[in-house]
Amino acid sequence: MKNLIYSIFIISLISSCDIIEEPYINNNGGGVDTSSNQYVKNILIEDFTGHLCQNCPDAARELEAIHDVYGAQIIGLAIHVGNTFARPYPLSQTKFTYDFRSKWGEELDNFFNITDAGLPKGMINRIGYPNDHRKDKGQWLSSVGDELSKDVIFGINISSTLLTDNAEIIINTDALKNTTGNYKLVVCLTENGIINWQKDGTLEDQNYIHNHVLRSVISSTWGDEVTLDSEINNGDSFEHSYSINLSDLENFNMDHSANVLFQGNGQAGDWDINNFGIVAYIYDNDNYEIIQVEQISISTK
Amino acid sequence: MKKILFIVLALSINISFIYSQERSLPNIEVKTLDGNSFNIQELENNNNPIVISFWATWCKPCKKELNNIAEVYEEWQEETGVKIIAISIDDTRSMSKVAPYVNSSDWEYEVYLDSNSDLKRAMGVSTVPHTFLLNGKGNIVWDHRGYIDGDEDELYEKIEELGK
Amino acid sequence: MKKNVIILGLLFSYLFTNGQDLGEIHGDFNLNLQSYLEDASINAVAADEVIRNNSYLNILFTRNNFTAGVRYESYLNALLDYDDDFKGNGIPYRFATYSTSGLEITAGNFYEQFGSGLIFRSYEEKGLGIDNAMDGIRLKYKIGNGINLKTFIAKSRTYFTYADGIFRGIDAEIDLNQAMNLTSKTKYILGGSFVSRYQQRSNPLFELPQNVGLYAGRLNLINGGWNYFGEYAYKINDPLNSIQQENVNYASGSAFTSSLTYSKKGFGITAEIHRADNMLLLSDRDRIGKAYILNYIPTLSKPHAYSLLALYPCATQAMGELGFQLDIFYKINKGTLLGGRYGTKLNFNVSRINGLNSGNSFLNDNQDHTPILISVIDEELYYSDINLEINKKLNKKVRYNLVVANQTYNKDFLEGKTPGEYGVINSTIGVLDISYKIKKGHSIRMELQTLMAKQLETASKKEEGDWVMGLAEYTISPNWFFAVQDMYNYGNEDVSKQLHYINLNVGFIKGANRFEIGYGKKREGIFCVGGVCKLVPSSNGLNFNITSSF
Repeated sequence: MKNLIYSIFIISLISSCDIIEEPYINNNGGGVDTSSNQYVKNILIEDFTGHLCQNCPDAARELEAIHDVYGAQIIGLAIHVGNTFARPYPLSQTKFTYDFRSKWGEELDNFFNITDAGLPKGMINRIGYPNDHRKDKGQWLSSVGDELSKDVIFGINISSTLLTDNAEIIINTDALKNTTGNYKLVVCLTENGIINWQKDGTLEDQNYIHNHVLRSVISSTWGDEVTLDSEINNGDSFEHSYSINLSDLENFNMDHSANVLFQGNGQAGDWDINNFGIVAYIYDNDNYEIIQVEQISISTK
Repeated sequence: MKKILFIVLALSINISFIYSQERSLPNIEVKTLDGNSFNIQELENNNNPIVISFWATWCKPCKKELNNIAEVYEEWQEETGVKIIAISIDDTRSMSKVAPYVNSSDWEYEVYLDSNSDLKRAMGVSTVPHTFLLNGKGNIVWDHRGYIDGDEDELYEKIEELGK
Repeated sequence: MKKNVIILGLLFSYLFTNGQDLGEIHGDFNLNLQSYLEDASINAVAADEVIRNNSYLNILFTRNNFTAGVRYESYLNALLDYDDDFKGNGIPYRFATYSTSGLEITAGNFYEQFGSGLIFRSYEEKGLGIDNAMDGIRLKYKIGNGINLKTFIAKSRTYFTYADGIFRGIDAEIDLNQAMNLTSKTKYILGGSFVSRYQQRSNPLFELPQNVGLYAGRLNLINGGWNYFGEYAYKINDPLNSIQQENVNYASGSAFTSSLTYSKKGFGITAEIHRADNMLLLSDRDRIGKAYILNYIPTLSKPHAYSLLALYPCATQAMGELGFQLDIFYKINKGTLLGGRYGTKLNFNVSRINGLNSGNSFLNDNQDHTPILISVIDEELYYSDINLEINKKLNKKVRYNLVVANQTYNKDFLEGKTPGEYGVINSTIGVLDISYKIKKGHSIRMELQTLMAKQLETASKKEEGDWVMGLAEYTISPNWFFAVQDMYNYGNEDVSKQLHYINLNVGFIKGANRFEIGYGKKREGIFCVGGVCKLVPSSNGLNFNITSSF
């Protein structure tokens, strides 16, 4: 009996320790998809954040690092939400007076209950809804890995023409498989390179660069039907078009901040159209999972 | 027919209820202040009553209860032969303070350590203080939660009742 | 129908004439209800559902050597100081245990602690909303001759689901005097434990250990009034699953705790030291939050029961801290000048916790840092506390508790704020707690507390400043208590925050049932047990609590 106990002890000692030796960096997987397929499975990482959230820049950097490894398949969307971390300081103050929030960001937060669990939190293609969709930044890498192995169902093409203040956006969706389901298309406007205050760890960074910030959702928050047919066949094509006026959208945000959002101060403007992008994604209405996403920069011709 | 069934059912439920009213100590081990293991089922006091009181060094009402009883403990023992067992639920944070506190307070109780709350859980204790009274056969006959100045009088009444 | 009656009758008569032990069923119940009203002055947010509740019912069945238990928990919705993931109802805890000839087998949920908990502790602390019960198989075996063995393989509970890691553990404790038949007056108890976590992950840039092992060894020496306990723990590399080089740390972790106690009649002294470096064990390495912490490094500071003494509590830094604590208990004998008629009890306590030299151990291709073992003077102070408690009975009717303390609290670091935002607060605190026995069964207790705060460095945010607190509690043994308390923040630099936090409480206790109803305003604060803390949002409303056991 004693021998049995000792052997169990020794076996568990030997078998349960993985000590890793230097060097630690080791390119042993992942990487950009170099297949010649026209469409690949893209992943939307919705990074819920706020300028008063000290731990959030670390999550944003994790997103960038994942993008560096996997390339264009990773599309990030920074959604500033919540009274605790994203509210602006009053205009009498000298920092954190910008309001990054938006009506659509707040709607997403209310539905998916993100800020209730604290920030930073992300959703990776919104998998895991309803109990496990809020992912800590430590889980993003493994969730991305899981998603990349899934099949591509749709291919999305975005084109846009911008004439001064007006833009015409056309989304072409190609079905790559036979599928049934209720799919919806959501189209968002994002802005890169917004330089403004951000708490970063123990610092307050005046010149932090905020990237892919959600500015507006030009379809509704919950999107438009991809098609009214319940059966979709390989090769089917669908077109959606949207006309927008950028000044109107900017004014809407400023108005919404001043009149609706908690302690909003109207400072939601100063948009730089040269840094804008369009993100379009299709999700399954039954489980909210995003099954394809695409992004382009808006052209200023 | 249904009536007979009902009577049989009611009778047996009543009887099984009486059976399960007897409450004994669980089979759980605690540690003595000397580091030995002690199974709580081994508590015995020559057929005299036993009082088990759950306390902690950070619990003010617990300390108040045990200090108030300490003043009259000798009398209680002479009159009824009762033995008081103080089970400390202090975890690693304050466990090392139990012996110095007990000794400097001059307690004559038997003190045991239940540092991961195993006994506390097995006896259904959720907050401390919680005091149990055992009769001479080792069955729990009364328990009380919390402590208010003067509660020791009620406890003593219950102890005396056992002697009659 | 007649046949059924006969069968049932036979069954029941068998049951009660058999004379065998039917087994016992016991349990306990707890309901906590709180209403949240909006209160702009303290930033209290109203809850959409107005009232929120936490409740549970525990049922235990025992018969001879067999025990089984179930716990039903209900959060509809959970109180605001609990993690948001506590949602809905369920039975997250159920187990069956059987013991025979020294071997105890548990299947299902169990709580367990190895040694002092440095490498493994699974426990529940309902006040914090922590319950990381293990779910699996556990064996406890008394080999005999003072050798005890414990082993398990299980997953850890988080909320109503499980954390990703699979845990295997084994712990052995040997009472050397018994095992080797020593006749020494000194008792030697040796213990060793090993825990390993398996979690699958893949990372394109870094090779991550799927099995992370932790080892610990402990020694307990007891001789008369002397007691020494020491434990050393070691954890192999346990890096985060991240793509950023700066976040990936291959350094091993270590911790030790050491305490020496001496006590005799009327006197006791305890001296403790502990150090933790990169020693956090998470049930899921990718997650953040106290629900995932599976080891226990308690904070080396005195757990204070009075509200102003616990206004700024210390949270343990399992990633890196060095702490010391000294406690002296002394009873001045009765009949002496200072002792008075009944004697006077004194408790002197001093503790100090600071950071490690340049942070915790860090190792990867770019960095290699190991902090010095013991470094106190130049390191960042996290928390320090020096206090004296005097406990005295004046006469048959009056007794009092007097506490004077001075605490230093590094609010910026301990609460994770930007340095310079709130600074380091030094507070001098006085507490006077007097009980007066009016007549048999009727007592009144009054507390007066004061806190004078001083900022040690300038802070950008307005200081919370000084506080004063008063409490009056009237109790009628054995059933009733009534209490009213007011905490007044008269010294707040922000005039709009110089508020009174008034609370009224009424309670009724009968046997094992307790009912309490309270109403009032609560300050936003931190509530800690053992160094693990939760944030309690400010609230204004009614709270109702029922506790019962059968």
